[in-house]
Amino acid sequence: MGRRFGDSMRRAAERAGFRSHRTDRALTLVGSPAFARGVVPHGKLPRKETTLKDRLLEALKGSAADYTEIRYELDDSTGISYRGEEVENVSSSKTAGGIVRACTRGGWGVATFDDPADLAHCVGEAARCAALVGKETTELAETPATDEVRTATFERDFRGVPFDEKLDLVRRYNEIILKADPAIETSQVHYWDCFRTVHFASSRGTYARQDRPQVGVVFSAVARDGAMVQRAHDGARSAVTYDAVLGHEKLAEQTARRAAALLKAPPCEGGAYTVILDPEMGGVFAHEAFGHLSEADFLYENPRMRDLMHLGRKMGPPQLNIVDDGTLDHHVSTQRFDDEGSPTRKTYLIQEGVLAGHLHSLETAAKMGAEPTGNARAQDRRCAPIVRMTNTYIEAGQLSFEELIAGVDDGIYACGMLGGQTMMEMFTFSAAHGYRIRGGQVGELIRDIVLTGNVFETLGAIDGLAGDLRIIDKGGGCGKGGQGAAVTFGSPHVRIRNVVVGGK
Amino acid sequence: MRNPMIDKASDVLQRGLEKAKSQGASAAKLGFRQSESIAASFENARLKKADTQQGLSVNVDVVVGRKRGSTSCTALGDVDEMVDRALALAAAGAAAHFDAYPPPAPTTEVNTYSARTAALKRQRMIEGEQTIVDALKGYNPDLYIEAGASRRETATLLVTSGGVVHRSAATGWSLNAWAQRTEGTDMLFTGFGRGWRDLNEYYDPNLIIEHMLEDLRNAEKIVPAPSGKTVALLSPEMLGMFLWAVQMGINGRNVAKGDSPLRGRVGEQVLDPCLTVVDDPHLNYSNGAADMSADGIPTRRTTLFDRGVLKTFLYDLDTAGLAGAEPTGHSGCSPYSPEVGPGERTHAELLKSIDDGIYIKQLMGFGQSNIINGDFSSNVALGFRIRGGEIAGRVKNTMVAGNVYELLRSGVRLSSDSDPIQRTPYAVIEGLSVSAAPGK
Repeated sequence: MGRRFGDSMRRAAERAGFRSHRTDRALTLVGSPAFARGVVPHGKLPRKETTLKDRLLEALKGSAADYTEIRYELDDSTGISYRGEEVENVSSSKTAGGIVRACTRGGWGVATFDDPADLAHCVGEAARCAALVGKETTELAETPATDEVRTATFERDFRGVPFDEKLDLVRRYNEIILKADPAIETSQVHYWDCFRTVHFASSRGTYARQDRPQVGVVFSAVARDGAMVQRAHDGARSAVTYDAVLGHEKLAEQTARRAAALLKAPPCEGGAYTVILDPEMGGVFAHEAFGHLSEADFLYENPRMRDLMHLGRKMGPPQLNIVDDGTLDHHVSTQRFDDEGSPTRKTYLIQEGVLAGHLHSLETAAKMGAEPTGNARAQDRRCAPIVRMTNTYIEAGQLSFEELIAGVDDGIYACGMLGGQTMMEMFTFSAAHGYRIRGGQVGELIRDIVLTGNVFETLGAIDGLAGDLRIIDKGGGCGKGGQGAAVTFGSPHVRIRNVVVGGK
Repeated sequence: MRNPMIDKASDVLQRGLEKAKSQGASAAKLGFRQSESIAASFENARLKKADTQQGLSVNVDVVVGRKRGSTSCTALGDVDEMVDRALALAAAGAAAHFDAYPPPAPTTEVNTYSARTAALKRQRMIEGEQTIVDALKGYNPDLYIEAGASRRETATLLVTSGGVVHRSAATGWSLNAWAQRTEGTDMLFTGFGRGWRDLNEYYDPNLIIEHMLEDLRNAEKIVPAPSGKTVALLSPEMLGMFLWAVQMGINGRNVAKGDSPLRGRVGEQVLDPCLTVVDDPHLNYSNGAADMSADGIPTRRTTLFDRGVLKTFLYDLDTAGLAGAEPTGHSGCSPYSPEVGPGERTHAELLKSIDDGIYIKQLMGFGQSNIINGDFSSNVALGFRIRGGEIAGRVKNTMVAGNVYELLRSGVRLSSDSDPIQRTPYAVIEGLSVSAAPGK
């Protein structure tokens, strides 16, 4: 039944034009037909790119601003969700549009558009807005003009995978979760893939085109015992291969069993503890507690914050190194250029316990006398770039996990992430689950572990790093200024003294 | 709107609807939305950015053989393809729990479009923001201040196979600010914002100034937090946040799918008898005002809790079919504009009645816990110690934890004064667990 069903789906999809997504990448890059009409020979990618590039660069000539950039994005995505016994949603979307940003006398003007026919108008509008605002001097760091096209490099392109195969995958994970334990009440499994192409051009003569593919699956299990409800979730995500979402049957089962086990786990008692963070929680800590403080758009206009976060400040023990690296491997947050056309790079934020760098946009770099770090990122075509992290992690230390835990008489081992939030020096993040540590041994499962503190004090309280660094790349992302961004984070196991843990 | 597209969209959507029906869809709906907005924002107490935004989207939903497919796009020229895709997806698609979109029915008139909001000029926004910045700088020149203001205009169109053809227009504005005070490694954040659809007296920079100055003054001194089970005064925004968790519980989808702890509890005393919550989508110019749901069903005033007794769950068309209930006209099974009825004493009197407790203005990480079950464990982002009926100072490094349903079940007292936009009063709750770092 499933195969016949899938075949009919495939035929229907082919009628609907889905075949092009599997076999002809050029066609998937055609976004708004209005933009392409009359200028793009069907399926001939080089001609279209040249034309689009020329059109963007030509439009920029109409700007009277000190600096102007255009970002035009095309996006094609698919989503499949199960919730409980049923398919909850299947969806597909195709969007196109862009944003013009202009800077005059230090003031910014922004205009967005969906209809490419509005491009010239929007360039003028952004320049007018900038002129209205600007009263000072435009200070933007220099970047080398570039002309570069980065197409996606796939090990296995999700666009070549039939829809029914994706649906079967989601169904399989869902069934595993629902059958894993009698206490499982319901489930959610969500698969998504998205192929985004970003064209960037600036008045400095830069043109960059990058593909930003992404495929992922997240699953969550809900267990119930009377009024008590517990959840667990996990997932996987990749920028290079559909295969990354395959083979997680055991993980799905473990996730469901953990939700059921949490029903019987006692809640964490509030108080101050020695805490060992697993690589996922350590990564959340690096990102949430410290990383945001390194984002220079929080600093460059704020003298007191600049003073607080001055380079050379001692932040933690000498073995502590925290890095943001937009060039790392092939993660979803790894790009050749950021959304201002600056090349990405590896930046040490803390090196040997000392504040070593900030994350910059063109403007923050210029105003703080630094080089751009390639961290200006925008959620999508409607958003202006802001300073964001990419792949942020704590470098590995020297200890084994056993050595790390041996020194803990009464503590908490915090594992997995539910979420994290920061208000500069103050952070809070929630573990998906955890264990008590007693006498240097991992003890019973506990739930409701929420850690909080002052980042300066907490970094200083780190007193052990294991050698088992792991980068976490799965569903979820970072929110800032109303924009979401895909990020990864990672860490080895980390030991921190005297952490406040919330509890009833 | 500079380039209104709704007339063109009407033809495109009707053609898309006919195509979907002719190719086997038993039910279909197409929704169009066009928006335009302008904004101006201050950074570091000076004008930094001006925005002009436009956006267009079309959503297509089709049902074929009790299965649904959904697509969306941003160009009218893509609608035909989106109908094809939706039909293809529906062949495999999500379970549909209804057969047809309902026919047109009378709606209650509600004002969502204000000509004076549509005419709000950027210059007036900038002046309002400057007023806020000047007042805050006058209090403390070292504050780092950001401010923002915007207005937007939207036009929407819904066509359904039930015969509904519904156009609507709406406006909205926002005005907000936040400030950061940094002293050593101590940082204080306070912010306040307003938003409404009509440019009425709510658009008042002085309201924002008053709120923020009150926070800054209350926070001049840092004092130890209470610990253990504590009485708490919640600001209207905080009560709204607590009730957001309850809204997830009355979401019919969460109930039907087994996620809600309120399943099977209609008619039971779930909240304190002082809590009556009514969803009113017909309040003119409120942010949630709507005369019709996304399914083409007229909206209606709905009592959610009557003196603490759970009266109903909320259902959109599909979820109603799933649950075997009648649709309540709630898009996404969520309330439009819930209002909590007032108490008898002013919030100042409530504050005076607390001998030792905590006043919570802002929580960080509230939704990170198992919030659908009501559980939370959050950092107090902005909170104050109450001693002898007065604010004693700001608390830091403090966590609060509890269960929303347990905390709102009994011992709740509400203020007689409410926030007119949030539409919630202040609340006093008992038994909130508070823990703080030793020595802080």
